[in-house]
Amino acid sequence: MAVKSKSPVSKLVLAGLVIIAVFPIFWVFLNSFKQLVDIVSTTPKFFFTPTLDNYIYVLGRENVQHGLINSIVIAGSSVLIGAALGIPAAYAVARYPNRFSDDIQFFVLSLRFLPPVAVAIPLIAIWLDLGLYDTRTALIITYTLLTMSTIIWLSIPAFSRVPREIEEAAIVDGYGPYAVFFKVALPVAAKSLIGAVIFSFILVWNEFLIALMLTTSDAKTLPIIASEFTLLGRNVPWGILNASVIVLSLPPLIFVGVMSGFINSALKKKD
Amino acid sequence: MKRKTSLPAVFLIPPLIVLAILAFVPTIAAVNIALQNRELSFPNSSYVWLSNFIDLFGDRRFINAIWISVIWEVVTVTATMLVAVLLAIFLFERASPRMQNLISILFIIPVMLPRVSAAFVWKFMFNPLFGLINYPIKLLTGAPIDFLSLPATALASVAVVDVWQWGLFFSVIILKLLQTLPPQPFEAARLDNAKTWEVHFYIGIPMLGAPLISLVFVKMVESLRAFDLIYVMTRGGPGIATETLDMYAFSQGFVEAGKISYASSMAVLMMVATIIAFTVLWKWVRKWQ
Repeated sequence: MAVKSKSPVSKLVLAGLVIIAVFPIFWVFLNSFKQLVDIVSTTPKFFFTPTLDNYIYVLGRENVQHGLINSIVIAGSSVLIGAALGIPAAYAVARYPNRFSDDIQFFVLSLRFLPPVAVAIPLIAIWLDLGLYDTRTALIITYTLLTMSTIIWLSIPAFSRVPREIEEAAIVDGYGPYAVFFKVALPVAAKSLIGAVIFSFILVWNEFLIALMLTTSDAKTLPIIASEFTLLGRNVPWGILNASVIVLSLPPLIFVGVMSGFINSALKKKD
Repeated sequence: MKRKTSLPAVFLIPPLIVLAILAFVPTIAAVNIALQNRELSFPNSSYVWLSNFIDLFGDRRFINAIWISVIWEVVTVTATMLVAVLLAIFLFERASPRMQNLISILFIIPVMLPRVSAAFVWKFMFNPLFGLINYPIKLLTGAPIDFLSLPATALASVAVVDVWQWGLFFSVIILKLLQTLPPQPFEAARLDNAKTWEVHFYIGIPMLGAPLISLVFVKMVESLRAFDLIYVMTRGGPGIATETLDMYAFSQGFVEAGKISYASSMAVLMMVATIIAFTVLWKWVRKWQ
């Protein structure tokens, strides 16, 4: 490689890029600890007396608590069902290729092409007719389509990367096909599979359009509740909005933190 | 693994049946509803066959929504790829390996945020009263610019958020791809006194042709999911300046009128268009790989 020149200009550009990437989020984080007067000041305030009022208000509201529970139950259940059905399916596609394998993979991928609005509109009618509109059950079933296809799609390469020799050695040791899956392939691929499962959790945790159209009160998830804070009265409660954005973003941010931990430990091993 | 076993059937058939039901029931229902005149506020409905579709093509708001969607798709995909490639090359050339790893983590954060959160984060940034973007503008010109309320800037401002999320994320992927390329062609070109941009433009980018096209494909699919951003930032406004197809279908089927059949006919057209486009593209992408 050529010598990397580290001129002050490129350092400055690098710093600028980092600021663009994370500063907007950090600013929301700061604002979530501010009183309203400190947010709507004529110059940006970096030093202020922090307050927890915004968080106390947000977390104390009944609809936020309800939305939080809904989000956890709905995302959790649909991910569990998606994983229970999707991980074995991915293993079968990866290890027992047949003449339909390509079609199956394309079918699973093509579910991602479906415009969400095209799924949501007919589902309004279907769930209304079944009497399940605005229930957690309806959202869990709908989201299972998302989690299952994502988990299958991400788990196929995870299983393909498991060295065949390990599985063949297990067969020689007298393991049946199911034992090979549960006792060998599953533990070896565990790390990538957990990544796939968490990713699908984030996907449905963040999902907005379908939840917006399939819920009106009882089954509202956290993103919907957060988006409604702008509608509170005539004075926009900026501090509260900032706090609710941070609460909503915590699970994905924690996920990035965990992932960076993975990356760091992987790097340390190489040294 | 060559022996006869029930495993593939047991592992594959139940999930595929569930997926097929979950995918086909709404799609078939969408077509069925689109052929009726169902409204959410009335219990009765009857078949009107293609009249919803005929109405659509006389609906100027629908034609506008198609345009906005096409513009959105082209602008966000192009801008994301440009930003990602340029940033990746810059990081590859000018950042130390440690810095590259740190930036890789930081650049993934925006795309992991819920889109609702990303939309609010930038709604605050663009705010004319106290948005950080408007402080320097106010200092220079004395008056703030309300980016999200001006027809000329609203769509571009929302696109900034999309590129912030995906451009940074893709730059990390492209950086990782650049790191895996063999160094010899680069060194040979440098010995021939090629400039840095020439090295990348004529050697690096062409070597990454296939994965870059896959990324374009992924972004095209993801750009169709911009509803959350637009809903939170502009609600399709000002007027109908940022009203994409899903936004218009949503407001027809849910907010303004509850004309669920009319909305459904839009959904059917979107579905047909995207499935045809992406199936053709996907087969084409696979040929490249």
